[in-house]
Amino acid sequence: MSVDPMAYEAQFFGFTPQTCMLRIYIAFQDYLFEMMLVVESVILKKLDGFPGCKISPFQIRKSTEKFLLFMKEHFDKLFSKMEEVLLQLVLNIPKNVLLPEDKVHEQYPYSKEQFQALQDEIHQLQKQYRAEASAGQALRAELEEQKAVRAELEKILQWFDGLENICREHGTGNFKESFAFLTRNSKKLQDVLKDVEEKSKKIKKHDQLL
Amino acid sequence: AGGGGGPPVPAAPGRAQVFTTVVDTFLEKLAAAGSYQRFANCYRCFYKLQPEMTRSIYDQFISQLQSSIKEEIQEVKDEGNLEVLFNSLDKIVEEAKNQEEPAWRPSGIPEEDVRSAMVPYLLKHRSYLRKVLKEKEEENRKVAESVLAGRDRIAELQQLIQARKHAWQ
Repeated sequence: MSVDPMAYEAQFFGFTPQTCMLRIYIAFQDYLFEMMLVVESVILKKLDGFPGCKISPFQIRKSTEKFLLFMKEHFDKLFSKMEEVLLQLVLNIPKNVLLPEDKVHEQYPYSKEQFQALQDEIHQLQKQYRAEASAGQALRAELEEQKAVRAELEKILQWFDGLENICREHGTGNFKESFAFLTRNSKKLQDVLKDVEEKSKKIKKHDQLL
Repeated sequence: AGGGGGPPVPAAPGRAQVFTTVVDTFLEKLAAAGSYQRFANCYRCFYKLQPEMTRSIYDQFISQLQSSIKEEIQEVKDEGNLEVLFNSLDKIVEEAKNQEEPAWRPSGIPEEDVRSAMVPYLLKHRSYLRKVLKEKEEENRKVAESVLAGRDRIAELQQLIQARKHAWQ
């Protein structure tokens, strides 16, 4: 027959019921013995006041032992019954009862696999979040770059517009055209120069061969 | 003790009450067993000499024993805060009265038992992550829109500049 360790009860009460019962038993027993000793010593003292009597301390001791033995027997029997009742009805937690502090086990009875799946899901979400966070950072970095680039481009555009305003202010509406004419001609000149260079190179070569 | 059935049973006494009653019964029966007759019988010689003294010694003995025992019980109750615990346990048992299945008990394996304790936190964590992920995704969507618009604008500016350039050639 296995002994019920009453661990769940110990969780609730803060002590094992059996320990409690043992403590009480020892205390009660001590009181019984103590009282008996007191009785004996009182009787012996009273006897001192009767110098003539024939009763010896030895007889008194025998009486005490007799009475104590008798009491102890009944004491043990009665205590045993009391202990049984207390352990069954008072210091116990019925099998169908769950302590409030353990409610989670009733609400979330997750198996190993379910628990693992939940943890995996969380890891996955964390990964996704980190990815989104870095994507967000990259996007914002580009936004900053764009700001700088846009500023530069707008500066250039402004410069062009400024140029046009100058032309308008100085009434040389044809400045643009003449400037364009100038650039075209200088380009033509460059081409002609190139041409002449090549031709003179050819002549020099020709001369050398001759 | 007999089983229930028949007339309605009055509410069962609480644990505190049962505790007190059981101890009182113990003391009663003990006093009954260690009766005066028994006492006087054992101390016959002294009883013959001093019957009244014997009676008074016995009375004191029994009363002292009973009060010591009651004191001890009270000490145990106070130390363990038993009155409160008994009442609270009575309530817990009452609330579980419709539960027929045996309830959960610690398995003795901490790793197993701690799982269920962690689940509520994990669930909270999961729903938090879902929320911030959604928010981040939404935020990024908006920023992405701005980035695309920005690119269009830059392309537009570049075109305008090209046009000006051509006009000056």
